[in-house]
Amino acid sequence: MDKNNSNALVVGAGISGIRTALDLAQQDFHVTLIDKSPAIGGILSQLDYQFPSNHCGMCKMLPLINRDASSQFCLRKGLFHENIHLLLSCELSGLAGEAGNFTARLRQKPTWVDPDLCVGCGLCEKVCPQDIPDCFNEGLSSRKAIYLPVPHAIPNAYVIDLAACNRCGACEEVCPTNAIQLSQSNRKAFNILVVDDELSIRDSLKEWLEEEDFSVDMAVSGADALTKLSQKPYQLMLTDIKMPQMGGVELLKKAKKDHPNLSVVMMTAYATVETAVEAMKIGALDYLIKPFDPDTLVPMVIRIFQDIEATKDREITIDTIIFSTGTSFYDPADEKNIFGYGIYPNVLTSIEFERMISHTGPSQGALCRLDHNPNDQNDPPVKKIAWIQCVGSRNIQQNADFCSSICCMIAIKEAVLTREISKGKIDTTIFYMDMRTFGKSFQRYYDTALSEHGVRFERCKIDSISLDKKTNDLIIRYISKNGELKKELFDMAVLSTGQRPSYKTAQLAKICDLSTNPWGFIQTLPFSLTLTAKEGIIAGGSVTGLKDISQSLIQASAAAQNAGCIIHSKGSKKLEAPIENKGVYRDVSREPVDLLMVICTCKERVTRFIDPKILTEKFIQDPCISNVIFLDNICTDNGWQELEQIVMDCRPNRLLIGACHPYLYIRRIRELAKKCTLDPVFIDVVDIMTGVFQENPDSQNELNSTGFHITGILNAGAAALKQAQYQTSHKIPVHPSALIIGGGIAGMTAALGIADQGYEVALVEKTDHLGGNLNWLKQTIDGLSCENLLEETIARVTKQPLIRIFLNSQIISCTGYTGQFKTIIEDGEKQPVTIEHGAVILATGGNEARTQSFNYGTQNSVVTQKDLEIRLADKSIDPKKLDSIAMIQCVDSRQEPRNYCSRVCCPTALKQARFIKEQNPEADIYFLYRDMMTCGFTETFFTQARKDNIIFISYEPDNLPQVEEIEGKIIINAVEPVLGRPIEINADLVVLATGITPEFPDTLASILGIMPDMDRFFQEADPKWRPLDAIKEGIYACGIVHSPGSIPESIATAQAAAQRALNIISRPVLASAQIVALVRHSLCSLCQRCIDTCPYGARMLNTDETKVLVNEAMCQGCGACAVICPNNASVLQGYSGQQMLGVIDAVFEDLLN
Amino acid sequence: MNTTTTKNPLAQVKEMVQSCIQCGTCTASCPNAFAMDHTPRKLWRMVQADNADAVFKSKTFILCSSCYYCTLRCPRGLPLTRAMGLLTQMAQVQNPEPFKQSHRFYQEFIQSVRRHGRVNEIEFMSLFFLSMKNPILPFKYASLGIKLLQKKKVSIPNPNIWKKDQNGLEKIFNKVRELEEQS
Repeated sequence: MDKNNSNALVVGAGISGIRTALDLAQQDFHVTLIDKSPAIGGILSQLDYQFPSNHCGMCKMLPLINRDASSQFCLRKGLFHENIHLLLSCELSGLAGEAGNFTARLRQKPTWVDPDLCVGCGLCEKVCPQDIPDCFNEGLSSRKAIYLPVPHAIPNAYVIDLAACNRCGACEEVCPTNAIQLSQSNRKAFNILVVDDELSIRDSLKEWLEEEDFSVDMAVSGADALTKLSQKPYQLMLTDIKMPQMGGVELLKKAKKDHPNLSVVMMTAYATVETAVEAMKIGALDYLIKPFDPDTLVPMVIRIFQDIEATKDREITIDTIIFSTGTSFYDPADEKNIFGYGIYPNVLTSIEFERMISHTGPSQGALCRLDHNPNDQNDPPVKKIAWIQCVGSRNIQQNADFCSSICCMIAIKEAVLTREISKGKIDTTIFYMDMRTFGKSFQRYYDTALSEHGVRFERCKIDSISLDKKTNDLIIRYISKNGELKKELFDMAVLSTGQRPSYKTAQLAKICDLSTNPWGFIQTLPFSLTLTAKEGIIAGGSVTGLKDISQSLIQASAAAQNAGCIIHSKGSKKLEAPIENKGVYRDVSREPVDLLMVICTCKERVTRFIDPKILTEKFIQDPCISNVIFLDNICTDNGWQELEQIVMDCRPNRLLIGACHPYLYIRRIRELAKKCTLDPVFIDVVDIMTGVFQENPDSQNELNSTGFHITGILNAGAAALKQAQYQTSHKIPVHPSALIIGGGIAGMTAALGIADQGYEVALVEKTDHLGGNLNWLKQTIDGLSCENLLEETIARVTKQPLIRIFLNSQIISCTGYTGQFKTIIEDGEKQPVTIEHGAVILATGGNEARTQSFNYGTQNSVVTQKDLEIRLADKSIDPKKLDSIAMIQCVDSRQEPRNYCSRVCCPTALKQARFIKEQNPEADIYFLYRDMMTCGFTETFFTQARKDNIIFISYEPDNLPQVEEIEGKIIINAVEPVLGRPIEINADLVVLATGITPEFPDTLASILGIMPDMDRFFQEADPKWRPLDAIKEGIYACGIVHSPGSIPESIATAQAAAQRALNIISRPVLASAQIVALVRHSLCSLCQRCIDTCPYGARMLNTDETKVLVNEAMCQGCGACAVICPNNASVLQGYSGQQMLGVIDAVFEDLLN
Repeated sequence: MNTTTTKNPLAQVKEMVQSCIQCGTCTASCPNAFAMDHTPRKLWRMVQADNADAVFKSKTFILCSSCYYCTLRCPRGLPLTRAMGLLTQMAQVQNPEPFKQSHRFYQEFIQSVRRHGRVNEIEFMSLFFLSMKNPILPFKYASLGIKLLQKKKVSIPNPNIWKKDQNGLEKIFNKVRELEEQS
């Protein structure tokens, strides 16, 4: 792997960065993934619970196909993929070139602890005298200057926060592996030149700096300095500004010309500060104002020294760059701080609350008031918590005329969790303006929160919080539903803080010359959520605005697809196909077992419990075990090299390593296997540390029992290896083409996404024309023309030779599985056409829901949003003739049986209202709505509508507006909740927003072998983490059959689905993993229990051969089938029954003897 | 002033609160909301609904003490305190029945200030009672008057008080009127 040359650079290793990197890596592109922090995971590493399952689920992002190429354990603990080069504590510092040939400059910050040497023993942390707020826990707890960035990473190496470190060196002394390198030894090699015409200053500077071990020379004038610079390399020059003959600025110019890498600090009197600032513009690093003392000078010089010494700048060449740098959150302690955040003890932000309820949080998951001592039994527990929505969102005074989209759902999730954790003992109240449950299952989640979990919802913006000074209770005033002013006490308040651009976004925009929107988020091209105005620079995840997990991942996959297109169009080469492993390993199946056991002593931690001599004697009795060797710190580079040497010398045919975390060794074992030509199935690592060790055993008894455990584990590991067998790897050939069902904008975009990367596509459309809903949609809310988009897309699709279009066609049958589907299409001439393809993308779209509510169908002046769009376009409705229009939102929506939000209706209605107002400013427009779902930046259109004198009246679902016709005029009766009285609206036109129903017929679902969800939309494998995948691998969905969405959102899902399909069809073969299930057909009674049990749909009954078959590429080796099989016919390769019984015997061997 | 003003007396205020989203921040932050007949939120809704009669019957805006909490906190950044002030001014001009008493009270107060450069309590109250033409009214204020007298809060009139414009205040008042007419 060439580390200086990648196909793509992904900046930011949060979930969307990981998704993009994994997608590209699965397509065999080489990816460099960087993150500024020392751990991966971004914001999600701090969040333990995701709705609706209340689990994490991040690991579901890992590839199911070709899974041996990547890590197969908890993704929070770490990420490894053959094609991903991961750099942590690394930032982008410069970008030059153009798409296809960018040069990115990366700056990797030192962590001062060598991760290859650190064993995570924690001794350093104990001796560190510093105590600073822990940012992982949002400052709710404290940490040391040397710390673990996240509690869960593996390997988890310590890092040093230099800003907090006082360089006492205590950690360096205690570190058993010499991993900490704060050492001052290099300072002697750091040459500093002091230039000043005053002797006293030169002398004192020299004295101060030499005390710190630096090498210092002095120059009396500019000319002298230049001579000295030419004689010896200097790293730093400190120069006075005002000197006779040659001044400091002139010296700076001349010195920089010949020595561009020289760092220069200007020393200036107060009067010439401006000159110093000017000097910084022409290359000076910093300035010092005279007079200064050592306390100012020395830390500055040390900082410069460390920056120069430790920062490793590197340049890599890439085709494309993807920004997944995420967002930041609003700081509620702004100048007004109306909620007393940071002042009142129990006011938290939602992220802080997430840390509170996390088991790795400051109180280990216990919900307690921060002003109380959790250990004190007498302290009252938390009884009431309030969530306050729209803090830093939807607020013009805070320059936030946008909705942050995800806070409503976060608040509901946190409230539901609180109710669950406390078993209903904690009262939870959410104060909100509009409850924005705009996603697929959100409305039902809200309903259960309300009815089943008893979360209270109060529709009122909270103006401020005040404090009861005696009890520290929080006082919240609000207006209740019936207009009463109320005052309530709470123990705790959680502020749902809104999005702000990450503080790096502006810097990145500047480095890459990107434009930002009015609020500082990266601006993308029209109709795209990912493409920026600069070719080759792509925005992924939340860098363009906050998103929930599924949307982030959709955007990330879309970004990967965009990146793939650029790499492809620039003709860049993919990674070469991995060399076949056959023949690499020697055949040991006929040899007698010759097992080498290597045990890590972990700096004598192990040898305290077991005597190496006794252990060796015990194991060596076994004829299969040839040698037992004790090594120190195998996890370090030195330890591993020693181990490799021993293996090369002994050439055993089985290798057992007793160490810690087997995860750590996966990559190393593969490399070692190739070196010693021993198949990795004969090499194993057993964990003799975790859960076995007690740091300080109290008695001899415990000491013995620990030693006993270690012996047992090693014994079991040896038993497993003795029975290990070669595993056959299966390869399933792939048809490198895709079938796309539906020729709307989503289907066409997906087709282009695949065809543009050189793969064939069959695009099946049931009508006689392409375009779907875009045929009647005229423009978007921001005034973009849908017609142009449609024209351009159809032109591209018809010109693309790899896309075969079937009009007036439908799918008759679809058989096979991922990589190998066979489909029969009935084409326009009613002739069957058979195609073979590797993946299916469902893009059948949806329609505006039909309705009979509000007299629709009986009165001409009651129309739907779609009717209005069409009739405004064909001019059968003239806005100028309308005096009064009423828009009724959520018609039949967000209540059973269509209990979901269609998300596009509110912006659509605003769009029409805007259009009518433009034509006829005198028209009165009324909105009757439940919650305005103007998420994200569409909120500005809502604000604009209010300014345009449009009246918004909210209604409750149990008190619908009444529409009746009296003498040709329509009268709407509703209740105005603020005035608290009935109102009557005379309307010329009533427009109903009925929402979207998906177009996903049962026949198609059964042909494809998948199930729709309860609203007949596409059912995802996992709504959060695999948002476009069907449970049946190889089938993906996009557009509004997946979920209702705007045109850009549908396009993003289409590109993402194309990427998911490309992950499969761009591989020549799908390789199975080492551990897969097999069927012993002679024992199989065809009871088919295994087929029902398999969670991955990897098993099927072949009726022709009457056999149960396993799709090895799909099988994830979970073993559920082996457990359920009554006849022992299903077995898991690598876990044979004989082997497992041997392991169990071995564990209990000592116990029984 | 545009033409709609003539049609709708509330037009100017309506424009100020046009983009109100009825979130209720103003009401919850108002220290005087408990005494108001309509909450500020409701008042703005009435303004939006062009219900001038009901608005000017309300005492809500009279009770505004200009603490500016609502303006400070309004998520839409609306000039709510100024809108309250504007309503008060309009009410003064229209002099509707509900505000007759407070209107006269303020008027006599300012006239007294205008004459003497400070308020003369006895003169101010006597003229106020006269203007209200209500014989029972003075008795309502009697106990308050006695209390104030005891605390020496009521000054004895200076014999010079009837001299006209001894402080030159008239110039300032005239200038203000001039400026107001211009705007």
